[in-house]
Amino acid sequence: MDKGLSKVAAVVGVGHTDWRGDYKRVRAGEKPRDSIGYGALAFKVALEDAGIQVSDIDGLIVGPTTAYERVGEVLGIDARWGGQADAMMGVIQACMAIKSGLAEVVALVYGNDQRSGGAAYGGDNPTGGVNYLALRYHAPWGLTSQGAMYSMMMRRYMEETGLTSAQLAEVAVAQRLGSSLNPNAIMQDRITVEEYLASPMVCEPLHLFDYCLINDGGVALIIAEAGRARGIRKDPVFVHGVGRYDLNKGATMLEPRLVNYYMPAQKKVAEQLFNMAGVGPSDMSTLQVYDSFSPHIPLVLEGYGYCRQGEAGRFMTEHGISLERGLPINTSGGHLSESYMQGWNHQVEAVRQLRGTCGPRQVPDCKFVHYSSDVAGKAISIIYGH
Amino acid sequence: MANSKIVMGIDDKPLWQSITRKRMELQCCNTCATFRYPPAPLCANCLALESTWTAISGKGTILSWVVFHRKYFDDHVPPYNSVAVLLPEGPIVVSQLEGPEPEGSWIGQAVEFCYAEHAGRMQHHVRLSPSLAHGAEPDKASA
Repeated sequence: MDKGLSKVAAVVGVGHTDWRGDYKRVRAGEKPRDSIGYGALAFKVALEDAGIQVSDIDGLIVGPTTAYERVGEVLGIDARWGGQADAMMGVIQACMAIKSGLAEVVALVYGNDQRSGGAAYGGDNPTGGVNYLALRYHAPWGLTSQGAMYSMMMRRYMEETGLTSAQLAEVAVAQRLGSSLNPNAIMQDRITVEEYLASPMVCEPLHLFDYCLINDGGVALIIAEAGRARGIRKDPVFVHGVGRYDLNKGATMLEPRLVNYYMPAQKKVAEQLFNMAGVGPSDMSTLQVYDSFSPHIPLVLEGYGYCRQGEAGRFMTEHGISLERGLPINTSGGHLSESYMQGWNHQVEAVRQLRGTCGPRQVPDCKFVHYSSDVAGKAISIIYGH
Repeated sequence: MANSKIVMGIDDKPLWQSITRKRMELQCCNTCATFRYPPAPLCANCLALESTWTAISGKGTILSWVVFHRKYFDDHVPPYNSVAVLLPEGPIVVSQLEGPEPEGSWIGQAVEFCYAEHAGRMQHHVRLSPSLAHGAEPDKASA
């Protein structure tokens, strides 16, 4: 039986920029690099991590924030296959290209100068407004920003299931524990549930600590065909399964958010993902979730079957979602506390956890990592393993 | 910072003309009677092109709400609310609740559409329905 993209390819190299240092420099008014510069720096680190040469690369994917041709020019890569994609689709497309024989060793390069470039995610000219009509359409009535739309979604979920703000606080608190043990993370101090509840509201019911950071930086990954990957290093991290389902119907009027909270998409993805990988939720050592806002976490827990319907709040407080107990989520600190690299830094953390190189934040005996993203109703998952 | 802007796509003009007349109209499919929001070139339910701009009943129920504490626009000064209203016609329309606010949860509250000048344009808002102060929870299947 064809197992789709299972174990077709593996990550053999990861790299990223100095998020903490650049965060300080940008806040001090400096502009260390532009988006292509951050990506280029990350690429050099990833190449070194893999121990291969630029000439070994025959495929190139660049993030949505940079131009494909210019990145290839800057890095000196002529490719026989390439494209532009976000983190989740980038990994899947690299595996697809490798499976179809169009490429063997693919570099994925992302850089973003969103902080120094003054990117605004709400207001009269929101970043992403060209692709997502909902980000602009409701502005006359004051509704703006992806965060506010997740807030509206979360409010209804809270009213329907009884999930409280103190329970939602578990996300920010757990991820700060992770980031406090991560030397690369921008936020180094732990917070308490009380500090979360006392923090300012941005868009009620969401607090400041429910929102991701906005910072400059870059991430690069090297993904190689399975046989090549085993030759490149002794501990490649394989993609064991992928899944995707998009809810586009009624997207601008927020229907898939407010009616069922994107969960029909997650359920479809879960079926494809776990079948392809031959494992289930109970096999996962840690869960990495695209966390532009903390509501992503309870919705993923329920959508993928980690807890029963309507019980995400109880799961987070009673079972636990931190390195201290339960199912550790976003062990690096994620977008809330490590770095906002639009899903790319989560891939790096998944690889490091499976390599066992995470030091004080290492998940013991890490066997499988589930990465999930559900940005704007595009549900995508990847399972990484040995 | 600037004032909020309306999106004026190729199909949006009749919508805003009807709002300016203080009675919002939406496209209703001539083939399957599905309402479109935002306005669109064809029916997402049956792919028919033809539709008729039809006045909405002006009633609805609140599906969810948020309160902004951060300022994003000059013409919306925090704290202010945005609400998602489920129309009996089918679509969900984002608006703002003005006047008395419900005690406790706003979800399921019956509202009525009203119109007023805002930042130099006519636009809609909603108020709690006097006759139905405590509306029923909207049926999910109908959304």
